[in-house]
Order: sequence, then C-alpha cells, then structure tokens
Amino acid sequence: MDATFAQLAMLGSSLMLIFGLILLWRRRVPAYINAFTGQSVALAGVAAATGYFGTESELYWVAAFVLLLKGLVIPSLLRRMGRRFGSERELDPYVNTATSLLLAGLLVLFGYAVMRPLVVTSRLPTRASMALAMGLILVSLFVIVTRKKALTQIVGFLMLENGIALLAILGTYGIPLIVELGVFLDALLGFLVMQIFVYRIHETFETIDVEQLSRLRH
Amino acid sequence: MATLLLLLTPPVLSAALAAVVRPYRRAVGWANAFLSLVSVGGALALWAHVLAGHVVTAGPGAFLRVDALSALLGFGVSVVGALAAWLGPGLSRGEDYDATQTRRFRIFANLFTFTMLFAVSTSSVGVMWIAIEATTITSAVLIPLHLSKASVEASWKYILLSSVGIALAFAGTVLAYVDFVAIVGRQAAALNWPVLVAAAPLLHPEVMRLAFVFVLVGYGTKAGLAPMHTWLPDAHAEAPAPLSAMMSGVLLAVALYAVMRWAAVANATLGAAFTDQFLLGLGLLSLGMAAFSLVRQHNYKRLLAYSSIEHTGLVCVGLGLGPLGTFAAMLHLLNHTLAKSMLFFLSGRVLQRYQTTRIGEVSGLLQTMPVTGGLFAAGLLALAGLPPFGIFISEFALLRAGFAAGRFWAMGLVLLLLTVAFVGVIAQLNRMLYGAPSAGVPRGEPSRWPLVPLALCLAALVALGLTIPSPLERLIAGIVEELGS
Repeated sequence: MDATFAQLAMLGSSLMLIFGLILLWRRRVPAYINAFTGQSVALAGVAAATGYFGTESELYWVAAFVLLLKGLVIPSLLRRMGRRFGSERELDPYVNTATSLLLAGLLVLFGYAVMRPLVVTSRLPTRASMALAMGLILVSLFVIVTRKKALTQIVGFLMLENGIALLAILGTYGIPLIVELGVFLDALLGFLVMQIFVYRIHETFETIDVEQLSRLRH
Repeated sequence: MATLLLLLTPPVLSAALAAVVRPYRRAVGWANAFLSLVSVGGALALWAHVLAGHVVTAGPGAFLRVDALSALLGFGVSVVGALAAWLGPGLSRGEDYDATQTRRFRIFANLFTFTMLFAVSTSSVGVMWIAIEATTITSAVLIPLHLSKASVEASWKYILLSSVGIALAFAGTVLAYVDFVAIVGRQAAALNWPVLVAAAPLLHPEVMRLAFVFVLVGYGTKAGLAPMHTWLPDAHAEAPAPLSAMMSGVLLAVALYAVMRWAAVANATLGAAFTDQFLLGLGLLSLGMAAFSLVRQHNYKRLLAYSSIEHTGLVCVGLGLGPLGTFAAMLHLLNHTLAKSMLFFLSGRVLQRYQTTRIGEVSGLLQTMPVTGGLFAAGLLALAGLPPFGIFISEFALLRAGFAAGRFWAMGLVLLLLTVAFVGVIAQLNRMLYGAPSAGVPRGEPSRWPLVPLALCLAALVALGLTIPSPLERLIAGIVEELGS
C-alpha cells in the first residue's frame, strides 16, 4: 500500500518537474500554457492520490479546486493572452537553453540537499518526493529570474505556486482547508492583477519584453 | 470582540460604500474619513485592553487575536489609514484625480488598510500569510493610478517580486508545518501562534533553520530588506503620495511583524543566536546599501524610499540585539511610521506644486510654501536622527542596546552608516529649501487644513523625542515579554 503510494507520489512529482523544465527549452507561448495545464492536472492527481492513501477526504476538494482553477480557468485566461501576445517569443533569454538546463539540473540536486533534514526526519511514504517539490520551486524561481517576457514570468510564478502546493500536500497531507481556500483566492486575484498589468505594459510600451522596463534606475 | 470589530469593519464599510456609489461623490470620501477615526478608536481601545492584561480573542477557534505586538501595529496602521482617508484624493475640489481614479483610490486604499489590519490581528500564520499576500494585490492596483511608463514599470516590478517573495514565505510556513504535523499530529489550531510557539521546542532544529530562512527571505522581500529591496524605491516613488505613505509608513512594518512572529517561533526551537545573526546581517546590509544610495539621490521621493530601507534595516538590527534592542526597534518602528507618512504626504504637495520629483528642479521651497517647506525640513531632520525628535531617542536606545550586548563592531558600523545617511539627507534638503523659487511656480499654500494632521504628526514626533509616555512604554515592554517567552 505504502509502496504503491510512494511510487505514485514520485511519478506525479517527477511529471510536475518535467512540465516545469519545458519552460526552459521551448520558446513558444502555447507550449508554456500546455505545460502549466499538464502540471496542474498532475498536481490534482497527486492531491487525489494523497487523499485516497492518506484517507484525508478534504484533499479531494483540493484536487477539484486545483483542476478547476489551475487546470481550466487560468489556462483559458492564459490562452487569451497568448493569442494577443503569442507572437512575442522568448528568443534571447538572459541564460541560453543549454546552460539553463544544466543549471536546472544543479538546482534540482540543490533541492535534494536543502530538503535533506526534512527527508531524514520524516517517516511519510511521500518523503522522497518532497525533494522534487523543492526542485520545482527552485527551477520556477530560475525561470522568473532569467526570462524576459512578462507572460513567461507569470507562468513561472504559477509553477512556483504549484511547487509549494505540492510540497504542502506531500508533507502534511493538506494544510487546513480554510487556509487552502484563502491561498486559492489570493492566487486567482494575484493572477488577474498580473494579467491586467501585462495588458497595461503592452499598451504603454508596445511590447511585453520586461527588458524594456528600465526607465527607473538608482 | 466588539473592539476588534470596531478596528476591522470601518475600512470594509468604506470600501463597500465607495464601490457601490457610482460615480464617486464627495460624501463617500467624508464618510470614509470619519469611519477611519472609528478604526483608530478601536485600536486605542485594544491598546487599553492589552495594557489591562488581556489578550483579546474572537471568532471560531479564536482566529482573531490581539496581543501587545498586534496592538502597536494595529494602532500604526489605523492612524496612517486615517491620514490617507483625510488627505487622499476625493475630499476637496481641484485635484489631480478624476472621479474614476478617486473612486478606485477609495476602494483599494481601504481594502489595503483592512488587509494590513487583518494581518496583524489574526492568530493563524496561514491566514496572516493570505492577508499579507492580499496587501500586495490591493496596493499594486493603485500604483499606476496615473498611467505612465514609469508607474506601469514600478507596479510590475512590485507585484512580481513581492508575489515571488511572499510565495517563498509560504514555502517556509509549509516547511515548519510539515515538521509540526510529523511530531504533534494534525490539529485544527496547529497554525496558531500560541500553539506553534508552545510546540516549537519539540521541532527539529535543522528543519526550523530551513523554514526560517525561507520565511525571512520571503517577508524580508516585502519589508524591503537588501538585497531583495530592488522593487521598493520604484514602487514608493511612483505611487500616489497617500499610497506611498501607507506602503512606506506601515506596510514595511507589517512585513517585519511577520518576521518577528516567526523569529519568536524559531528562537523557541533554536535559541536566539541563529535568528540574531540573520537579522543583524540583513539589517546592516540594508542600512549600508540605503546610506550610500541616499548620498547620490536626485529624486526626493526616491530619497524618502531609500530612507525607508535605511530605517527598516535599523529596526532589523534592533531585533537582532536581544530584549533591549527589541524595545528600541519597536520605538523606532512607531517613530518611522509617523515621520515617513508625514513626509510622503508633504512630498505629494511639493510634487503638485512643482510638477517634478527631481531635487535639482525644486528650489526655494521655504518661499513658495512656507509651512509645507518647514514641515518637510523638520521631518527630514527627524529622519536624519537629530534631537528633539523621537528617532534620535530610538536610535540612541538601539546603539546603547548594541553596546550593552557587546556588538561593538556592528554598532561602530551602524554609527558610521548613520552619519553617511545623515550627510546625504541634509545635503539634499538644503538644495530644496533655499535658493530662488523656480520660475513660474505660484507662491502660497494650495490648501491649508491638510497641514493640521501633518503638523500633529510632527508634534507627536517631538513629544516622543522628549519623553516616552507610560502607556507606550508598558505596551512595548509587553511586546518584548511576548517575543522573549
């Protein structure tokens, strides 16, 4: 039972990390959005599996919310933005693809190192997967820092949130539902405001390349 | 319970009113102004309750909880919220904002105040996180109230960096909670401060170290600590003056509040040495970065923003110096709230008159607007740490705490950096105050009554420089006790 659960958790977490890595080597916006959708579905799967094996019925609700919000609503809003700004590809990020992938690999290893104290002290069947969640968090941070298009940064931020949600599910079998709901609400509102800002950036700068945002110095 | 409602409901009512009445009417602004005073009254009542030895709790599972630290922050937030309600756009004619912008300001400024008040009066780390994340959203919306390239750029940097920072703070929260669940088991109240602090000695030190670093980097980003401060000068300089006053005067303090709460948990697991070294280090770094940026500033709003980083850094240093340092830090927090909100409101008046934020293009301020100029000068002198203002006293107390704790090198560095900051601020001030008034700038104060509340801020600063009132001293002593136990 525990062995099956551990394998499922590992499978789901690995899938999520791979979806995260897609941001580093693809250039087109639709690929990013698909990757994020896939990652969210995997997150919902992990949540449901943890709910089943850990007998936490609240997690089914969390899975349903993830599927609805991050698998359906946010991707459709992203697609609308993609149709508008999709022609602006991530052509020359601050770090090129090969180096990015290499660094991402190192970040995942670093995630293992960082999470060692938690993995060692934990007795959960999911403990090995928690390091992958940390890897996803670090890789998402890397995406936000090194990519130039506002849209890519938003997807990176959404993936960062997915990584943290994964960590919470694997480590605690779900934070209290009321807090979880608040976090979902914040995530949605934050995303909506960011979306408005991207349209504003496009209006005032006629591009969503954040490298152009360099008027304010000192 | 009733006093808590008195504190929390007025901003919600004001926001709802502004949202419902469309187009904007000035009656809404006045209702907002008077409701904001109710909030201040609620904060004072809570202060009195706390001094009488109560911890005010309310709601299911006591998820609202006000102790001494919450009372001090609640007071600061409600006062600056009231200043923004009275001095913000929408009360008099002939302003820079049209009805749509004014309505938007009234809605989101009140929601912003509410989220800050809620963050400091909840007992759950999770709910506090949600509220602080919501402060980012509600304030970011208002930065580009005047749509311009600069304000759009500032708001994007602000929302992206703050959201990422806050997400890391959530990761830290989750890490601590993972360990808590593994040791104590799942329970509904697990995320409440008292429960968390009580269980902290059982938690694994290695995990707590990791969690605290995440939390410190996360909320530290929001508090504008170097090197995560890069969004702050842009956002504070580009935001409308009342919003700058709220962000600089109290939002930074609310972020530090979260750090302090978590430091208390981490101290219970690890002992104080671990958090002290981080707080001292980040504090000194912020102080140093800000001091040298102050010297070469050409923009007076950015000058004020960097000065916020300087003072946040000082508070952080104080928090790393044990009980005496914490006392000084809390006093400094209150002093900075008063001085910085006043100055940002004044900077709004200067900007309205001169239509520029460049220091070089503002001259003869004392001649064009004598009272505004005088208050501006007094405020900057207070920020620079001169007597008879409160900041002199709190900086002095901080240094004394540092020397008493044997941190001679660190305190020597603080003194040196404070001198650099002093020189920077005073040199810029001189350039603005004197000289011939710029051509084409009309003379005289544009409006008089807004100067009254600002003069009151200055009076409070002077009062705090002469003596520390007993209720304040007892409240801060209560905070030191709470955080130490």
